[in-house]
Amino acid sequence: MLPMISAINPTVKAIAVLIPGILLGLTFDVFTPLVYLLFIISVTFLLSDLSFKRWIKFFVPFFLFIASFSWARLLYTSETFQDGSVLFSFWAFEVTTGGLLVAVSLALRSLCFIALSLLFIMTTDSTKFMLSLMQQLRLSPKITYGVLAGYRFLPTFKHELEVLRQAHRVRGVGRAKGIRGRIRQFKRYSIPLLANSIRKAERVANAMESKGFTGEHDRTHYHQMTVTKRDWRFLGMMVGALFLAFVASYYFGYLNIFGYQVN
Amino acid sequence: MTKMQRNSLLSVHDYSFDFETLNDPLLNNLNFTLYEGETTLLIGPSGSGKSSLSLCLNGLYPDAVEGVASGEIRFQDQPVHDFEKGQVNQQIGIVFQDPDSQFCMITVEDELAFTLENIQTPREEMEARIDEMLNTIGMDDYKYEAIHTLSGGQKQKIALASVLLLEPDVLILDEPTANLDPMSQLEFIQLIERLQSAMDLTILLIEHQADDWLYLIDRVLVLSRQGELMEDGEVESILQTKQQQLIDHGIFIPKQYLDSPPNPKPTIHTNNTEPCFTMESISFSRKNKQILKNINLTLKKGEMTAIVGENGAGKSTLLQLMARLLQPEAGTMTFLNKPLAKWKEQSLRQHMGFVFQNPEHQFITDTTYDEIAFSMTLNGYDAETIDTRTRELLNHFHLINEKSQNPFALSGGQKRRLSVATMLDETPDLLLFDEPTFGQDAQTTHELMEIMTEIQQQGTTIVFVTHDMDLVDQYCDTVYVLNEQSIQFHGRPAKLWEHDELLDQARLRKPFRLEMREKVGVAHDLSH
Repeated sequence: MLPMISAINPTVKAIAVLIPGILLGLTFDVFTPLVYLLFIISVTFLLSDLSFKRWIKFFVPFFLFIASFSWARLLYTSETFQDGSVLFSFWAFEVTTGGLLVAVSLALRSLCFIALSLLFIMTTDSTKFMLSLMQQLRLSPKITYGVLAGYRFLPTFKHELEVLRQAHRVRGVGRAKGIRGRIRQFKRYSIPLLANSIRKAERVANAMESKGFTGEHDRTHYHQMTVTKRDWRFLGMMVGALFLAFVASYYFGYLNIFGYQVN
Repeated sequence: MTKMQRNSLLSVHDYSFDFETLNDPLLNNLNFTLYEGETTLLIGPSGSGKSSLSLCLNGLYPDAVEGVASGEIRFQDQPVHDFEKGQVNQQIGIVFQDPDSQFCMITVEDELAFTLENIQTPREEMEARIDEMLNTIGMDDYKYEAIHTLSGGQKQKIALASVLLLEPDVLILDEPTANLDPMSQLEFIQLIERLQSAMDLTILLIEHQADDWLYLIDRVLVLSRQGELMEDGEVESILQTKQQQLIDHGIFIPKQYLDSPPNPKPTIHTNNTEPCFTMESISFSRKNKQILKNINLTLKKGEMTAIVGENGAGKSTLLQLMARLLQPEAGTMTFLNKPLAKWKEQSLRQHMGFVFQNPEHQFITDTTYDEIAFSMTLNGYDAETIDTRTRELLNHFHLINEKSQNPFALSGGQKRRLSVATMLDETPDLLLFDEPTFGQDAQTTHELMEIMTEIQQQGTTIVFVTHDMDLVDQYCDTVYVLNEQSIQFHGRPAKLWEHDELLDQARLRKPFRLEMREKVGVAHDLSH
């Protein structure tokens, strides 16, 4: 029985996403990332109850960005990859098969990173992730709970910026004009925002310490984050699939690591 | 409460504290004792170090701020600094003022668990303790809620619960109800009353306006502006006999001890019915949530109007719509006989002022002087006029000695005055205030209301949002009650107090003079 991704220990999940991410960065061919991308997407939907609509909403903007980026890359391929026959040319640009392959490979690798990141972000509870870092990787409770308290500030921060804009508008300060105006506006906003954030942070720190928080590791855990066999199975599956993709790629003669055709 | 024998629980001996040096310390040579099971009220003007004292008592200060202290604080006859880190905090819990900066977790359950984790409660016991505590404070249904979705009153209850899980001997309440609406305040006080007897708590209460707490108080401590202990003794004797000294120090005297209780504003029959501002069928939603529905409102020239309603009723939103800081989805507004939408931005800001809840949000420049001169410079006045007018305002608002200080470095009361002064470069026709007395001490509140009355007398129409029904009763000509997205009452404040059911629904209370009368049951004709 395969585990559901949302139930995987967040630290193990992070590692399971990081390792393929780094290794994929080494491949310069098209086949490997393509196979792995298909794998990630199937894992995402087979092993979680994530709605396709929600996923695609995040994926598409990245996809468009990467597509345009790769198009530029295609036109400005460096000399090293300018081999192969010329496919087409216009203006001063010549697009070669070599260049095309590099550009497509880059796009596919980027999409793999995006898909891996989404897989992690959309199936992981941020609180549990921090708690797991503390319990599995011995991250200091000071940092853990500091970050968690920080999460709570984000919406208040946004609200305060909004109020600040209104307050300045009432005083007759319009939209900033020019770079100097922008810098001055940034200064006007940042001082009250900073002053308030520091005050609030201090208050939260006092409140936390008043509840007996010491920042030491000698505490019990309400959410016990454990690493079990199924977490290792997940890690093995994510990394194993990449190696299978490598092997297949090698077998078909596509594998290209760091620009060197491995055959 | 009668006590056979008073047992000292927490005692302070020759204690001084300051953030930097002890030459002129914030807390100056304090000596007092808290006795088991008693409720002690600590009062003092803003800046007298009340909050710092509470953090000293539970052992956080001076270490947490690298401050300096001399003298000794003893808990159960043992010096506080002899306890291990985190030990004293557990015996002396604090609930703070700001409901929004006491939590570090997202959900109620996790926040309560955080406390239990700190004191190393075995995991198997946690859930039961959390459930039991939620039951005690009457919030069983909120276990899995996100804290930021709760109301201010609910947040303070959770803050209280998370402190009580420590099973402390002493509970310090640092203005816990200052940010709550009137009904939530009462509910919180009743909860404390219930818990005190159930959990055998010794309480130190810090509170500006202690009116509603009085029946729980055994003893009063008074801190002076210099951080010295001015008084220590029985409630009656101090609040009655030392009243004048306390008032001189800017301390709120509970209204029942005042010799002359505040009077309601007499009705002035003016023939002036010309509207300054009107709203017709205004509706507004935020993120698909209807906030205001079909609001009609008319402000007559030269009147002072209050907008009241429970937290989250949309009072601030209403004010922002009036100031054209938000756009309504339906309806029209007219300001000085001209559609609001047709006003040019610059001219609108000259004729209409807006004072925000937090004065700091309005500060733009680096000195108090520039702050006042700012709008006049923007509107292109000549240098001489600007200087004369600025000095006039600085003098009038007692800010002339602070003219070259940074606005952020002013005291709370000074900031409040400056934020009003910046709106008065020209006499505006309409001035809007968003909870201007929120969290301010007696003196600042009084000063501000005097200023507002004075501005009103110069012909300016004033609208303010408030939770303080006594202010409404004393100062306002008209009051609007906002409840369930619509205006449910408008008219003279004296009329509003007759609608018991509506007051209940909108979670409002009557002003003190009427509550007192109902309690005492004295039939006393107040009609003028």
